[in-house]
Amino acid sequence: MMDGAGPVRSIGVPTPLVDGPEKVSGKARYAADYLGHDILVGRIWRSPVAHARILAVDVTKAQALPGVVAAVTGADCDKTFGVLPVAMNEYPLARERVRYRGEPVAAIAAIDAETAQRALDLIAVEFAPLPAYFSAVDARAPGAVLLHDDKPGNVERHATYAIGDVDAGFAAADLVREETYHCAEVCQVQSEPHAALAEYDAERDELTVRCSTQVPFYVHLMLARTLDMEKSRIRVIKPHIGGGFGCRTETLAIELIAALLARKAKGRVRIVATREETFITHRGRPEQTTRLRIGLTRDGRITAVECETVQRGGAYSGYGIVTILYSGSMIFAIYDVPAARYDGYRIATNTPPPGAFRGHGTVNVRFAFESLLDRMAAELGLDPFAVRRANLLKAPTFTANDLMVNSYGLPDCLDRVEAASGWRTRKGRLGPNRGLGMACSHYVSGASKPVHWTGEPHATVNLKLDFDGSITLLTGAAEIGQGSSTVLVQCVAEVLGLDIGRIRIIAADSAVTPKDNGSYSSRVTYMVGNAAIEAANNLKAVLVKAAADRLGVRVEDVECLGESYRAGRQDEGLSFDDVVKAALADAGTITVKGNFSTIPASHGGKKYRGAAIGGTMAFAYAAQVVEVSVDPDTAEIRVEKVWVAHDCGRALNPLAVEGQVQGSVWMGMGQALSEETRYHDGLGITGNMLDYRVPTIVESPPIEVHIVEAADPHGPFGAKEAGESSLAGFLPALANAIEDAIGIRPTELPVTPDRLMALMEKRARDGRATKAS
Amino acid sequence: MEYMPAFRLHRPASVEEAVALAAGDPAVRFLAGGTDMVVNIRRGIERPTALVDLSAIPELGAIDIDSGALRIGAAVTLARLAADPRVAAVWTAVAEAAGSVAGPTHRAYGTVGGNLCLDTRCLYYNQSEWWRSSNDYCLKHRGSVCHVAPGGKQCFAVFSGDLTPGLLIHDATVDLVGPGGRRTIPLGDLYRDDGMDHLALAAGEMVAAVRVPAPPRGARSGYLKSRVRGSIDFPLAGVAALVVSSDGLATDIRVAVTGVNPRPHRIRGIDVHRGHALDDNALDAIREAVRTQAKPMKTTTVAPWYRRRVVGALARRLVARLASS
Repeated sequence: MMDGAGPVRSIGVPTPLVDGPEKVSGKARYAADYLGHDILVGRIWRSPVAHARILAVDVTKAQALPGVVAAVTGADCDKTFGVLPVAMNEYPLARERVRYRGEPVAAIAAIDAETAQRALDLIAVEFAPLPAYFSAVDARAPGAVLLHDDKPGNVERHATYAIGDVDAGFAAADLVREETYHCAEVCQVQSEPHAALAEYDAERDELTVRCSTQVPFYVHLMLARTLDMEKSRIRVIKPHIGGGFGCRTETLAIELIAALLARKAKGRVRIVATREETFITHRGRPEQTTRLRIGLTRDGRITAVECETVQRGGAYSGYGIVTILYSGSMIFAIYDVPAARYDGYRIATNTPPPGAFRGHGTVNVRFAFESLLDRMAAELGLDPFAVRRANLLKAPTFTANDLMVNSYGLPDCLDRVEAASGWRTRKGRLGPNRGLGMACSHYVSGASKPVHWTGEPHATVNLKLDFDGSITLLTGAAEIGQGSSTVLVQCVAEVLGLDIGRIRIIAADSAVTPKDNGSYSSRVTYMVGNAAIEAANNLKAVLVKAAADRLGVRVEDVECLGESYRAGRQDEGLSFDDVVKAALADAGTITVKGNFSTIPASHGGKKYRGAAIGGTMAFAYAAQVVEVSVDPDTAEIRVEKVWVAHDCGRALNPLAVEGQVQGSVWMGMGQALSEETRYHDGLGITGNMLDYRVPTIVESPPIEVHIVEAADPHGPFGAKEAGESSLAGFLPALANAIEDAIGIRPTELPVTPDRLMALMEKRARDGRATKAS
Repeated sequence: MEYMPAFRLHRPASVEEAVALAAGDPAVRFLAGGTDMVVNIRRGIERPTALVDLSAIPELGAIDIDSGALRIGAAVTLARLAADPRVAAVWTAVAEAAGSVAGPTHRAYGTVGGNLCLDTRCLYYNQSEWWRSSNDYCLKHRGSVCHVAPGGKQCFAVFSGDLTPGLLIHDATVDLVGPGGRRTIPLGDLYRDDGMDHLALAAGEMVAAVRVPAPPRGARSGYLKSRVRGSIDFPLAGVAALVVSSDGLATDIRVAVTGVNPRPHRIRGIDVHRGHALDDNALDAIREAVRTQAKPMKTTTVAPWYRRRVVGALARRLVARLASS
């Protein structure tokens, strides 16, 4: 008996990721790393045209090539797929029509890459061209050909609401301003390109798929749907994943195509997308134009907001409806907004489909909102911090659009970055071409209503305890590099008072682990974390009962010290192994379960169609200050430093929180400074890592992270979201800092040197014109 | 990763052997660091029957200084050149340029010869085979249309080597070896103003070394480049300058540019500033001369007018710095 040894604490302890050793040593296997002599090479034939009717797809010559084992086309699958049950309009391989350049049309499985390439070259497709639209404006023009017959005007979705008395709000305002903001389309550029390995067992009619996904469960559903197979005959395994950031929060064609090929080839087929194909598959953040109008009183109180935003939605629905709804609902829940009117248009275009990029739907509107607020604060002679403080919420509360806010650390976030950045003494005093800017942002901790509503609990965790004294944590939650496996292990270890080394985690193998909706909308820590805590409490109850029986005391008299259980201070107690032995003697191998369900109050409002989007158990908040310098000759922007405070509730793993916050800020910096996709007649010209400019370490500033812990009453140990809220604030904070540095306020992102120089030269011309007149 | 086609790989031990291996087959390519070549092979732009790897030829791997003159073997890596203190002290622009190419891993492999013979670049050319075929190819490769200047018959693909301007201002020459033997030409004559055919090398000919004479006494030189990101990116524009000052007057001034034309070149017409103080008026005039002679086209995602502005701004800044120090 280890006298005096108490339970081991895991929560709040900076903890390196439990899957780190495999990753840093190169042992971790990703979907592309499964090799074998019998694995066929899958390759996809992609449309060279943007919009056309398909007249014929001829794969006979390709199929006849020695070494080609299978070829599939749209004729092999007549089922659509998509993440939203109401908007599945994409085929794994195009049928009848192609709608963007690069859309999959046919695929080959061959014995090697060279044969597969030669086979692709033998595929003949006949197209009858249709007019193609590469911008939302063109696609909405009168008389434009419809991409989808059921979407008049090429409007995928018009989301609209009017909350409160907007007109009265504007009438009561002392200052009303309107501005239009434009954000280019951006991609995630996660380190691992898409990959899938599908194995079909023809004897048993069983399919196993390993793929680079954030949502193995949704992949499972879509495999069953598109292959017309029983779900019980499919197994989806998520191997190690090299990031996702939202581009893999829906099933992608590559996974389905690999499976179609494997079934036809009666074998194993691996498709590894090139970087260009990964860009073409897209599912990033849409190009978006936002016209925003805000009313403020003289002391900075928001009286009304009006927002009209248009997203270039790409050729297929994907998450589009949710994205355009988030853009509207998340105008609320950060400040006290009494009235708002919103019109969001998601437009179908002949470009690759965007998706649920980190900060889903909120980022581009937040850029507009915080930019305009800053400009208006200046007009009113108010400090940027003061205007935010004038509009704070008071938790617990429900917003005007019925979003539940139980914890609210934004005031502390403001205080922290204001002090850390030396704002009061430094703002406006940094000399020429150097400036400070700030902004706030927020995000959900999981969507309270999942897109596939089944009524089941949101999350289930199983724990298995066996003769060896090890605890195996089984979860469907997809570890994608964000640290979800580590945080779940910490939750279980904390409850049981054990070192995390006693707990082994198996994540996301449908044959082994309980179903989970996946890693998106920052749901895992909150929802699966709570399920893990419940499971651990259930296991603890079994152990305490066994200890009580063995010690001959009442259950309530047993004290769990992690590695030992005792009844009173004087008791010598039992070791953990003894307790396990006692428990197993009663019941054999122990398996317990924990569930988590959201509460109805968190399900969002009913005031407008789609009002559930935005509903969450908890909001996380962030404030940040960005310091920049601008080169007056070259218009190059240098981000000198970022101070960011993030309210993540209780920080379960402060090390991981810091990394997530830095990653969010950094990703926002890429969107703000240099990242954008470009198309030449719908053909992506930036489909590589030279022309699509993700910042390098040279551009990466010191990012000072302050963790604010406004504990949430329902969160796991009080925790909330940590990996998304800090992204959106960077964009407007940068624009505001540029304004402070050189007196020019960019409204179009990214602020590349050519865009900024154009603004600087325009000001110089306007200045000369003013002087001359 | 894109599919890598099959080819033969030779690794000769001498320049003569290398040249013999390449003779007679235009589809044989010399390979040094491969940082650009391998990408182009994967993209189907280059379809070599064989590659002649130059890394095992001792003659190509030396940096020598003899009687104040510098000789750099073509297979010397950019990292080695950048780190050589003798080069940095005397031919500063050359060392600065070598240290500014792409990122550290590229510099560890990329070579002097490779950088001097870099293929010209264009948004419509440096793409995958699928991309280019979907876009009907282009004038430079397999097609008949220039997407940068539709209707034109000239290719504007831009030369992006960082090393060339620093060597041009130092009056470098290059040693060439080919089936016809050895010859030495001024570096400026290695280039042509044609994005499709920008190197004046004979069939089967290769660069073996660069020779750089001792600069004029008191010369100072440097290199500045514009790019969106401080690593990896090819130059949107690059400027090298050399200034000799005496008693506040410029006795010599030379400027050369890269990244803005198919051909890297010395800026003409700035000799007029010799013997004068490089005051603001002179610096403005140099800036304008550079802007006028730079003819960037829409070969990158960054606006051509910006590249013209910035190449002038960098030239002015660099000359001012060299003149004042």
